[in-house]
Amino acid sequence: MKCLETEKLIGYAYRLLDEPAASRVRAHLGDCPRCREIVEQHGRLDAVLSEWKTEEPSPEFDARVRLAVEAQKSGSNAWAVWHWQWARGLVLASLGVLIIAGVVLFTLSHRVVPDSSRVAEQKPRQATSAQAPAQVANFHSLAVPGDGSSSPVQAVHGNKSAVGFTNEDKVTQALEDYDLAANFDLLSELPKGEPRVAN
Amino acid sequence: MSFPQLFRGQSVVYNVATMAIENDLDLMLRVRDGDTASFEILLRRYRLPMVSYFRRMVRDQGLAEDLAQEVFLRVYKSRERYQPEAKFTTWLYRIATNLALNAIRDRKDEVSSTVGDDPDGGTEFERFVDPQPTVEQRLVQGDRERLIRQAVEALPENQRAAVLLHKYQEVDYRQIARILRVSESAVKSLLFRAYETLRLRLEPMLREGRI
Repeated sequence: MKCLETEKLIGYAYRLLDEPAASRVRAHLGDCPRCREIVEQHGRLDAVLSEWKTEEPSPEFDARVRLAVEAQKSGSNAWAVWHWQWARGLVLASLGVLIIAGVVLFTLSHRVVPDSSRVAEQKPRQATSAQAPAQVANFHSLAVPGDGSSSPVQAVHGNKSAVGFTNEDKVTQALEDYDLAANFDLLSELPKGEPRVAN
Repeated sequence: MSFPQLFRGQSVVYNVATMAIENDLDLMLRVRDGDTASFEILLRRYRLPMVSYFRRMVRDQGLAEDLAQEVFLRVYKSRERYQPEAKFTTWLYRIATNLALNAIRDRKDEVSSTVGDDPDGGTEFERFVDPQPTVEQRLVQGDRERLIRQAVEALPENQRAAVLLHKYQEVDYRQIARILRVSESAVKSLLFRAYETLRLRLEPMLREGRI
């Protein structure tokens, strides 16, 4: 009788065969002592292998696992908190940048570009307006001594030495004062050059 | 619920009862939903199988516990991604086997003296077949368990994993195929070769056992 392949015998011994294949091996073993011996040896091997025992885990094993898991959990929480803080910081930083950018843009859009000719005009104008009451008083003091028909400008030029204007700035100042004096005339509702009407 | 709370009052009673009736899949799905108590039940259920598996896969007992701890930690870490597509134990043993094989490869220099390059562990085979007196002496010394351990450790990694899962962890060969990511016929082939090698290596013990 031809012996079966060792794989089939081992498969039978360790119940790795399906039922039809196991039935064929079982039938063969009844007639083949050599194959039966191999199967029996594997049965004994199975028993011998069972002698290899292992010990229980050490008493601290469970605690170690729990600690590791707890550490992992807290690590995850710390990571989440860090992420949240990081996100919050990012938002605050973005807001800060936006605010600064807004301020800069506002400043740039409202900035007066300095013009050299206008600056030249503005400086004496500012000085004149600051000195306006005194200059008006001077103007009236200049106009009163005249005949009343001459313009204040003429009066200014005509009495230049009398009032002590010695440079161009003061001439300009007097021209500005003329404008101011014209306004005074309007305020008094008197036509220019006309004598005052007595009540 | 934190771990220390599990050991107080009714939690223990609840968990002991729960361990008996709930299957791994349901527990793992609850772990996925944040239930730490279910993780505790899985830990208690599989602490011994995991540590035993690693102790047989790697020689170092301290390393075995470290690796078992790592398995549980990885299970917990990947709880949110867990998909109940296969048995929980398939997933568990796949993690464990990968860790064990990596650990063995990391310690290859140390292990190579016993495993060798021969897929069937030829060098070790000679050591076990030839010296019957030595085996007798070892038997006299009551060192049968060490002989078995050495015979199994001398197996190539995949055969060793297959035998340990099949014989000691009582995992079905179909499930072993999923754990090792090989075909079922490949697992059968691994088991055939591994058991036959062990039979030849431990033959003196088998004769002794028959007497």
